[in-house]
Amino acid sequence: MTLTVRLPGPAATVSGRGQRWAEARAGSLLALPAAVYFLVFWVVPFAGAVWLSFTDYELAGVPAWTGLDNYRRLLGDPGFWNSARVTALYTVASVVPSIVLALAIAVPLSRPGRVNGVLRALVMIPAAMPLVATSMVWSAIFADEGLANTLIGLVGIGPRPWLTDERLALWALVIMTTWKHLGLFVIILTAGLQGLPSGVFEAAAIDGAGPVRIFARITLPLLRRTLLFVLVIAVIGAMQSFVPAFLLTKGGPAGATEVLPLYLWATGFGFERMGYASAIAMVLLVAMLALSLVQFGVLRGGDDG
Amino acid sequence: MRPSRLGSAVRGTLLSLVVAVMLLPVYAMLAVASASDATDLGGLGFDAARFGEHLSQLFGQGGFPLYLRNSVILSLGVAVLEVVFSGAAGYALAQLPFPGRRVLFAVVVGTLSLSPIVVLVPMYLVVRQLGWIDSFQGMIVPFAMSAFGVFLVRQFALSLPRELLLSARVDGAGELRVFLRVAVPLLRPALLTLFLLQFLAQWDNLLWPLVVANRPGLWPLPVGLSQLQTEYDFSAGLVGTAALVTAVPPLVLMFVLQRYYVAGLTLGGVKK
Repeated sequence: MTLTVRLPGPAATVSGRGQRWAEARAGSLLALPAAVYFLVFWVVPFAGAVWLSFTDYELAGVPAWTGLDNYRRLLGDPGFWNSARVTALYTVASVVPSIVLALAIAVPLSRPGRVNGVLRALVMIPAAMPLVATSMVWSAIFADEGLANTLIGLVGIGPRPWLTDERLALWALVIMTTWKHLGLFVIILTAGLQGLPSGVFEAAAIDGAGPVRIFARITLPLLRRTLLFVLVIAVIGAMQSFVPAFLLTKGGPAGATEVLPLYLWATGFGFERMGYASAIAMVLLVAMLALSLVQFGVLRGGDDG
Repeated sequence: MRPSRLGSAVRGTLLSLVVAVMLLPVYAMLAVASASDATDLGGLGFDAARFGEHLSQLFGQGGFPLYLRNSVILSLGVAVLEVVFSGAAGYALAQLPFPGRRVLFAVVVGTLSLSPIVVLVPMYLVVRQLGWIDSFQGMIVPFAMSAFGVFLVRQFALSLPRELLLSARVDGAGELRVFLRVAVPLLRPALLTLFLLQFLAQWDNLLWPLVVANRPGLWPLPVGLSQLQTEYDFSAGLVGTAALVTAVPPLVLMFVLQRYYVAGLTLGGVKK
């Protein structure tokens, strides 16, 4: 069946070849900018990053193929290993407490009620604050005469040079990052909890299951998909984190907070060693992909959630 | 099981306390913004008069108003382009058969797992090749679309009611008219979410402008703020005021578009 409608201009058919052609033409037109964009700004750069990682390329010169040299050099580069260690520590130390705390807050917060509604809106404030502004505030909080030292002074601990002590600086970043992520994760987990079917909980309560049992046996398994999502964005976010280390410590003191993205940036744009920086980028990419896959494998298990 | 009234009161109080602690650093922002100098950061007092002085100082001198203007151009530019082009591409991928559709979708999904830091170096080289270093197009165009945006709109457009699109076609509307008059109004929630998230992302983008904008006249707020810290005539309180002012537009937008904000953040994490 073909419906033909007379129009000023070309005839439009709703099914049949003319219509299919019109749809293909409109589709191409609407998708063309995206095709050009992704080619120029993602496909070419990605291929370029892979290729550059096998070259020696300083901004002033031309790339020279050196095979696996960059990767071999990475293996013996103490700066790289330091950054890899700092990134791993920063990721684990900020991801675990922020998810555990977020879950502890989200479970009671997701219950209905007027007070909870207000609290849910307030929790969004830290999440919506720009990271740059947040970093400036925390650098004031961790200043010599800042709020952090005032607070530990209340419990009788003397002032600490948070951002300039090699053993403390990374933990200062971890505290800030945990706080920043907490608000975000509470929002996501609360939304996830509110989407769970309430009938299951009522049935469990009628069967006499206590709150701990309900949490472990029902809430956690049902929330698995949301938790997986939070875990993946938390890990990937922490591994790519650049701003806090750049603004609070510039990677110091003595490399104690030189996370991989900062090392990459300094190598590429400080020392203009583009080939070597690209090799670092590849290692970072492979690590992020591998960790994401592991998390999917472990948490997803058999279900197709 | 019916929770006792006492139990829920205790829980509510505890929860309010926890949220209050979470908001302490936000409040600290006000205290820092009204601090006189670096020795005055430890308390939680707020001096409104001094804060007012800082504000007029901040807006009275060259750098800050310029950074603010640049951030508005950058964030609005990216958010508008993103809505237009990712919106168009997402709709096409969901509703219109066209040659190369599978390839484009594969590229979009592949790009989802890449992040700017991974392609930072070659993206810089591409922009340099285009002659866009130290220009607004160099800051804006590389983020004018996103895999996330195209994917978001596509997912949303997959569930557009086909009868509605079809009846518009029967009424004689051309494909572009169907897109603009029928699909776009229905896609509004997805497009608003995208606008909000991209605006917020660019408002807070430090790394890319740091790499492509060397000229202070082009710096958006994140780069400008990072430099204020090191300027000798900038007191701690003034830096705090600058940070506070920077945080206001995102907070306002977030509250106005709260629904879309939560929708965007929870995308993919919440079973629908």
